Amino acid sequence: MSAGIGCRDLRVHAGGRELLSVPELHVSSGRTLAVLGPNGAGKSTLLRALGLLSSHRVSGEILLDGRPATRSLMRHALVAVLQRPILRRGTVAANVISGLRFRGVSRREAQARAWPWIEALGLASLAGRDARSLSIGEAQRVSITRALAVGPKVLLLDEPFSGLDSTTRADLLADLRAALTGQPTATILVTHDRQEALALAEDTALLIKGRIRQHGSTAEVLDHPGDADTARLLGFTNLLPPALTGRTHTLVARPEHTRLVLGPSDDSAEVIGTLRRTVALGVATRVDVDTAAGPLTCLHPGDLLATELPPAGSSVRVRIRHARPLTEMSLATPS
Amino acid sequence: MDVLFGGLADAVRLLLSGDEDSWSIIALTLRVSLTATAIALLLGLPLGAAVAVARFPGRRILLAAANTGMGMPPVVVGLFVTVLLWRSGPLGGLGLLYTPTAMVIAQGAIATPIVVALVAAALQQVDPDFRVQMQALGATPVRALAALLGEARLPLLAGAMAAFGAVVSEVGAAQMVGGNLAGQTRVLTTAAVLATSRGQFSLAIAFGLILLLIAFGVNLSLTLIQQRQAVTR
Repeated sequence: MSAGIGCRDLRVHAGGRELLSVPELHVSSGRTLAVLGPNGAGKSTLLRALGLLSSHRVSGEILLDGRPATRSLMRHALVAVLQRPILRRGTVAANVISGLRFRGVSRREAQARAWPWIEALGLASLAGRDARSLSIGEAQRVSITRALAVGPKVLLLDEPFSGLDSTTRADLLADLRAALTGQPTATILVTHDRQEALALAEDTALLIKGRIRQHGSTAEVLDHPGDADTARLLGFTNLLPPALTGRTHTLVARPEHTRLVLGPSDDSAEVIGTLRRTVALGVATRVDVDTAAGPLTCLHPGDLLATELPPAGSSVRVRIRHARPLTEMSLATPS
Repeated sequence: MDVLFGGLADAVRLLLSGDEDSWSIIALTLRVSLTATAIALLLGLPLGAAVAVARFPGRRILLAAANTGMGMPPVVVGLFVTVLLWRSGPLGGLGLLYTPTAMVIAQGAIATPIVVALVAAALQQVDPDFRVQMQALGATPVRALAALLGEARLPLLAGAMAAFGAVVSEVGAAQMVGGNLAGQTRVLTTAAVLATSRGQFSLAIAFGLILLLIAFGVNLSLTLIQQRQAVTR
């Protein structure tokens, strides 16, 4: 019997449509799985189905520590943090202990158990504040602290960092990572952000259109897209079909690894195209090029002077510095 | 102005004199309207909560009916209750017409749609994922619903105040189903109407002022509870 949360043949239907189909998934205690997917991929649907929180029609088996999960078992094991921080009326401290209070812990004991988490997540100075007076970042910090204070077996995080400014997000991400390290919690983080997956999760699953396309260690999955959809999701937005490169496989490349060739060159591996537009992005300059096989995006570091770049409509050469072949990865659960 | 000041003086005199008739009118007004409000809360709270959080066929029709009921003229409600309780009506055998019970039924029917509509509105103002988040923290469905009611307690109290205000001030239904029988079904509104029709303006104003005082007193109590909860966070 393996500790953690999982599912077998999980399907979610709504309005006569199948929203999600996951043959198998398991997250062991002490590990974090990131479910990465674009908007509308079914990430939140998967999370709610796993937590027995879904309002849709769910079939299949949800497993908790290897056994079929009941609502009662799940209620004791699970805590979820939703995308919008939903706090109750009352102080920050009262909110942080509410998960423990729901579990029948006395107020005094709940306060004692929650206080180390309040300090660890940097909320001590806000403990007496009215929860309604918090900023969105502070409120999400309270929401996460409230979840951690319970010491759950299973922690479900539904895009908890979306909507936060970059500094708040980076701080909260680091604090959450530190808080989860060494905890016997099976954590599932739903996100569309690769950096969040890298920062928090040992394993990553790519969810597109309700199906898990790839599943493996985060480093491996993020760098080895198996098809065009996952390539786009992982930032490999340049697709180079065999007709363009002469290779046997379609190659994919990130814009930052794709550059215009500005000087003379005789490299036969370059791709010929027409410059469509250039956009100065401050720290980088984006160059869009149309090729026979579709558009390519180049990202040059720094603010390239317009004079360094040929005008729109010019014939240009593009060099791909790092490209990956699209290869199907196994969907097997990582050990 | 003499009439107004006379009315004020009469009101004070009535309250201080311990006049039995006046006190029985005041007591009956409170008894009927508070009982009707309590019944409306008992019926309206679960109905309004169901409309707000559950999904069932006819939910929107029920909500639209409740919203319509908020503007229902008391005299129309009085008419329906009178027909129901009329000697030859479906509930005529109970012999309730022209009793305080009939007035409670009529006022309850006036207040219930108000409570249903305001409870539904109050609960729907809270984040739609509130109950999911509470359950995802370990709350049972019942505790999650209780937490939702607690979260919306300020607008819920406002709903209770609106319901009481509507029934304590209505005259049409009380007159029709109660009959304004002295010592039996006479309440402040019907007493004020009678006094006015007899040209006893001072007495009518006195009843009106006492009615205002009662409405103010009950609403002040609820407002103090509401605002104490709003501040002591």
